[in-house]
Amino acid sequence: MFDPVDDVIDRIARHLRRPVQIDPALDGRVMREITALPTPGGATALGKAWRWLRRPRQLTLTPLGGLAVAAAIAVVVLLARMNFRSPAPPQAESRAFQFVLVAPRATRISLVGDFNDWDATRTPMLRAGSEALWTVVVPLTPGRYHYAFLVDGSRWLADPSAPVARDDDYGAPSSVLTVGRGGDS
Amino acid sequence: MTHALIRTALPLLAATLVAGRAAAQQTDPRLERLDAATRPTVAALIDSARTALLPTEPLVQRALEGATKRAAGDVIVAAVRRLAVDLGHARDALGSTASPAELSAGAAALRAGAAQTTLTELRQARRGLLVVPLAVLADLVASGVPVDSAAAAVLALAGRARDADLIEFRRAVERDIALGAPPAAATAAAVTAADVFVNAGARQQRPGRP
Repeated sequence: MFDPVDDVIDRIARHLRRPVQIDPALDGRVMREITALPTPGGATALGKAWRWLRRPRQLTLTPLGGLAVAAAIAVVVLLARMNFRSPAPPQAESRAFQFVLVAPRATRISLVGDFNDWDATRTPMLRAGSEALWTVVVPLTPGRYHYAFLVDGSRWLADPSAPVARDDDYGAPSSVLTVGRGGDS
Repeated sequence: MTHALIRTALPLLAATLVAGRAAAQQTDPRLERLDAATRPTVAALIDSARTALLPTEPLVQRALEGATKRAAGDVIVAAVRRLAVDLGHARDALGSTASPAELSAGAAALRAGAAQTTLTELRQARRGLLVVPLAVLADLVASGVPVDSAAAAVLALAGRARDADLIEFRRAVERDIALGAPPAAATAAAVTAADVFVNAGARQQRPGRP
């Protein structure tokens, strides 16, 4: 029995089963067309920069190069940490304070305290007027300072005109100066 | 690819760790004034304080004070450690927003014997910096005023008195003590006088009426 529908289906199936010859240069032509297509984001400098930044790259580094990079990082870290001292207070906040000591027999006196790293060489006192009067002026910002006088390089004296430091841990006497806003002490 | 990454990344990571550790151990050059045995311990204490976000400059100064006064190394270490603990307690009492100067003054007040609750009450009673009230509290105790009397006096004045008023109050107490008054009585009298003075100042600052 003849069935026209089956005949049509058979012919379509035979047609589809035929091998298809594809031009070997097709892949190349397709890729060239894709490359030639305009990219999203336009061709502006910003777009190019953005694409350049997002394009993955493989970095190759020798161990020596790695050490060099690490050394550079260490230098940056060290430079950052060099600033561990308290930032210098604004000059506008500092007030000049005069320290005075009567010491007739002293040959040299230094003012040492929290404001000069307890460095006996940094703030020498000078005779003022009479031979017995020693004085020096130091700019100070608001805060609470420990200090003392070092007489002739060996004898510690507290300031008789200032409160004694109760939180002194070292036996040698110290005094306390409190500087408030406006320079009150 | 993986081997290349390992060959590159491992030395880089190791070198970075070594460099970072070296940087972390970089000590304040001022600590060179300490002897070689004391310096690492003090530096470690200061690093710990820095990690805990406490001010480190007071600790450096305390160590330098010890070096200049030629204190023994263990005494310096103990002093720095004790100050670090006091700074931590002061921050607990004053809050994390306290300035380094406030923490330093707070540590002195605690060292003088003030309670942490007193510091917290001061923070609540006074707007602005607490350096002077805390320092006055510590100084009064150093002058012989009982800590409870000193705390009560400073708390009574802290809400309204200016820094200058508080310092004048401290001077008045010290003057009366020097003249022979018992410290507690001198404090009470000075509080009364300062309170009157502060109130008078407040009246003067009221706007005038037509």
